[in-house]
Amino acid sequence: MRIWVTGIGMVSPLARGASATMDRLVAGDRAFAPLSLFEIPESPVRIAAEIPGLRADEIAPPGEAEGWSRTDTMAVLSAREALAHAELDPRVASVDLILGGTTAGMFETEDLLAWLSRDPAAITPLKRMLSHPLSSAGDHVRAAVGPFRRVRAVCSACSSGANAILLGAAWIRAGLSSCVLAGGADGLCRLTYSGFRALAALAPEPCRPFDRRRVGLNLGEGAAFLVLESEASARARGAQPIVELRGWAVGAEAHHITNPEREGLTAARVMRDALRRAALGPADLDYVNAHGTATPLNDSMEAAALRACLGPEVERVAVSSSKGQIGHTLGAAGAIEAAITAMAIARGVVPPTAGLEEVDADCRLVHVMTAREVPLRAAMSNSFGFGGTDSVLVFAQPDRFPPLAGADPRPTCRTVVVTGAGTVGPLGVLGARGAAAYLDPGPPPAEGAIAFNTGEHLDLARARRLDRAGRLATIAIQTALAEAGVDAEASRGPGPAGDAAAPLIGAIVGASFGSVDASTAYMRRIYDKGPKYASPADFPNLVPSSPVGHASIYLGLRGPVFAVADLGATAESAMTAAIELIAAGEGEVIAAGSVEEASPMIERCLGPICSEILDRGVRSEGAAVLLFESEARARERNARPLARVGWWSSWRGDGAGALVGSPLPGVSAGVFVGREEPRIERCLHGSAWACVPRRALAPRAGDHEGTGGFAAAVAVAAIERGTLSRALILGGAPDRGYAVLLEALGDT
Amino acid sequence: MDAREVRQQLKELMVSELNLEGKKPADIDDAAPLFGEGLGLDSLDALQLAMSVEERFGVRIPEGDEARPIFASVDALVEHILKARVVA
Repeated sequence: MRIWVTGIGMVSPLARGASATMDRLVAGDRAFAPLSLFEIPESPVRIAAEIPGLRADEIAPPGEAEGWSRTDTMAVLSAREALAHAELDPRVASVDLILGGTTAGMFETEDLLAWLSRDPAAITPLKRMLSHPLSSAGDHVRAAVGPFRRVRAVCSACSSGANAILLGAAWIRAGLSSCVLAGGADGLCRLTYSGFRALAALAPEPCRPFDRRRVGLNLGEGAAFLVLESEASARARGAQPIVELRGWAVGAEAHHITNPEREGLTAARVMRDALRRAALGPADLDYVNAHGTATPLNDSMEAAALRACLGPEVERVAVSSSKGQIGHTLGAAGAIEAAITAMAIARGVVPPTAGLEEVDADCRLVHVMTAREVPLRAAMSNSFGFGGTDSVLVFAQPDRFPPLAGADPRPTCRTVVVTGAGTVGPLGVLGARGAAAYLDPGPPPAEGAIAFNTGEHLDLARARRLDRAGRLATIAIQTALAEAGVDAEASRGPGPAGDAAAPLIGAIVGASFGSVDASTAYMRRIYDKGPKYASPADFPNLVPSSPVGHASIYLGLRGPVFAVADLGATAESAMTAAIELIAAGEGEVIAAGSVEEASPMIERCLGPICSEILDRGVRSEGAAVLLFESEARARERNARPLARVGWWSSWRGDGAGALVGSPLPGVSAGVFVGREEPRIERCLHGSAWACVPRRALAPRAGDHEGTGGFAAAVAVAAIERGTLSRALILGGAPDRGYAVLLEALGDT
Repeated sequence: MDAREVRQQLKELMVSELNLEGKKPADIDDAAPLFGEGLGLDSLDALQLAMSVEERFGVRIPEGDEARPIFASVDALVEHILKARVVA
């Protein structure tokens, strides 16, 4: 089965519109100009690639523009273009949406965070906070151009946009979707600008990817979407392919939170995996759109990785980086550059690397410095993010290569099992078996921060970079791996230290709002002391994927590693994404759940307006993950699964009728929810599950957006104990919901 | 501020800014290398330390290769801070 790209949309610093951007890229134009959105006083670096004239009232419903960010605006404009290009109407066809990003509406909320940190009681325009969560851009795209059946927000720092496309491909390959609008959007903000400046990563002049005089990157902003469609779906509605999305791969370096591996071993491995998935060899590839940030470390690492992956063909395959023209668009870069790669194939033209004049001896490749017209059979797009999250996509001319059927006989939806759980909550650090204690009657937990001693669980010297969320997430994953008997260190992939047969372990962990208090403290320092006192060590911890990135580095997790966010359903969103990836064959072992920190800012500002959490009492905190594994892998290593995933679903809207099609409860069943809410009733109404006994975990595990992870761990415990044969985990937040059905192994 | 005071404040700063949990200022060797072997710090720590030294002592640490000898050890960093403060 082929996956076709049938529509492309883009808003870039060079132009509004994918085709207009491509024209200017080919012409060699560069978008760098003095910053106009904000000032960074005393900074020697003053340029960026901005999108001029972007106004939220162009796309927001009348009177609501205040709650819509620049990121939302570019996302909506590019999503609309991609759908129009594909001649696809989501009101008629069933379309899913995946959006990658990093800072979402940070630009709009930066001032607000600084004011509120001084006076949390201030009645400020809180409506502006509506665009703060990572999930808000997807929500706004859905509101403006939807409906969409499923919506996901993913973050893996600078590879977010590529991972959104990858997840969309996985859905189609597993037969879960026939049509996905996937992309990324990221607006410029003071936080990222001052942060990259603090890391000494910004170039004062237009950047020079792969040049021996390169000193750093320039920041840009933008958004891009691809319409991904199964060939069958596209043919049925008479749509034409632009290119084929033929290969993809994702993996983590488990090396360092900001620096790439010097030799690029993981980057090379992920490129090879993507080519293998595409059933192509280096000889089939004609072009690579490089990550090419123009930082000294990235470009030499990437050149080494390309040499390792392409072998002798590296002397022939053309390479260019678009960042010399539009800057580094962070969470959007993977999607924007995927779109550029697709258009390069469709037009038969290699866009240039602007700013490159003298190729660094470390970066010798077939660099293209002015656009070259040449037919491109297949091309690769590289994306690498903070925390070492590498993603690679491979596109090809629509009918150039034979269908993948012979090489890879999917789609099949594989069976997924649960082999462990990890929770860090008021009862301590517990696996699934221990988490059964949350089922026993007991007093409500203390409000606010939970007590736990990092030194009892982690090596303090190695964990010193981990902030609280990073520590909670790492301990939860470590506990789940231990319960499942999975040794992360042995799963390093082929090599002297690792067992070649052991699959790479992944992790998907999100937080509803990210590190809000840390971001607030970081911004306040900039406002109070000046941007030159921005903390380089704190900055990487402000990216939503930081907790899971730290866990990957600490525990040596080298599979798919990224964050998701979906308000109070973040844990459920992460678990669902892990199940989908394993079902699609994109991973074998993935820990998934969420982490929520005690946070006055979330409690007072974000929670009440965005997630309806905290209509009572003080918000608590905690982390909970399940370890999902393919049934095949669990059998291979003789592991006894605790439960099997029998069914799952996710939806947008009020959830009415969401359980239609779910298996029946059977004789001994339970429903597990994080918090008891009216939307749970609405979702159960009319279903056979409505009269099944229900347990809510918030009264025992604490009230926060991540209690759904505890509900899941306890559901596993109830099945493992033999108390229940089926457990339905239900979770939701305003206008969204998830359901995962777990069943006992003997129950079919 | 004399050398002893600068040294003490610098070590306290290192423990807090670089999150050297479980370490006390007195545990940091004056002459041992800060990076690689020794304390095991890396380039991200160097940036954080340079920023906090500037904030605490009002002394700028140059970027890139020039910073290398200054970050050789606590001794070298103390010497740089004292010298720069005199000039200022």
